[in-house]
Amino acid sequence: MITAITTLTLLALCFGAILGYAAVKFRVEGDPIVARVDALLPQTQCGQCGYPGCRPYAEAICNGEVDINRCPPGGEATIIALADLLGVEPKSLDPEMGEERGPVVAVIDEQTCIGCTLCIQACPVDAILGSAKQMHTVINTECTGCELCVEPCPVDCIAIVAVPCEPQRWRWPLPHLLAEGVV
Amino acid sequence: MAEAQIPMLVEVAYATPVEQKIFKVNLPQGSTVQEAINLSGVLEQFPEIDTDNLALGIFSKACKADTVLRERDRVEIYRPLIADPKAIRKQRAAEGKRMGKGGGEVTEDADEA
Repeated sequence: MITAITTLTLLALCFGAILGYAAVKFRVEGDPIVARVDALLPQTQCGQCGYPGCRPYAEAICNGEVDINRCPPGGEATIIALADLLGVEPKSLDPEMGEERGPVVAVIDEQTCIGCTLCIQACPVDAILGSAKQMHTVINTECTGCELCVEPCPVDCIAIVAVPCEPQRWRWPLPHLLAEGVV
Repeated sequence: MAEAQIPMLVEVAYATPVEQKIFKVNLPQGSTVQEAINLSGVLEQFPEIDTDNLALGIFSKACKADTVLRERDRVEIYRPLIADPKAIRKQRAAEGKRMGKGGGEVTEDADEA
């Protein structure tokens, strides 16, 4: 009798110690599902979904505040990937948010740029190189084509142009999307 | 380990409409903008850069060549404007176009922000 109680107590203490240690050692910072949703979003930080960036939108999706069909830059591929991750039915893109289109970048007309820095302040991804009274230049590889720089420009010198599909830019489509027949 | 021995990662960026380059540079702590530029190789790749009159900045804030860098700074080398801002503003006013928000002395606002 005494032996049984002692053994069980010791076992309980032992497992308790292991669980306590694991809780500290393997503690999860933040909500991992938010990070996974965020990873599926295109990171344009364009705000077309109505949230200030991709991460806030990911948080809102995980809190069940909004639908998954509010991201025009991601388009249908993103919606299907999100639906798959979250176990919900995919929907078509909300037309209120805008239309899906191919990759675009901003281009600054150098003949007109007055070096006012307004576009630089608007750029969410630091894709514009320039300073006050210096030429502003869009860094193509950083630009997400979010168009947030177009409206602030006082001299309308920023155009949004489609990115041609060139061998240097082409990337392998994501494998899990391929498997689902999305791409 | 002494602090100066931990390398610091910074970027050096230069951009033309045709080609934009961001060079990643590892530097000792306390390095300056000039050291980052020399080490990055940007001057060799873009020989058109006027080394005597470098217009420099870190993330769009103008700085001097001896400014001490911090981790993850982006040193930027700028090119001069082509257009004359005054002429452009006059021209737009003549055409009756609005200058949009902050068309005036926006650079002061930018410095405060």
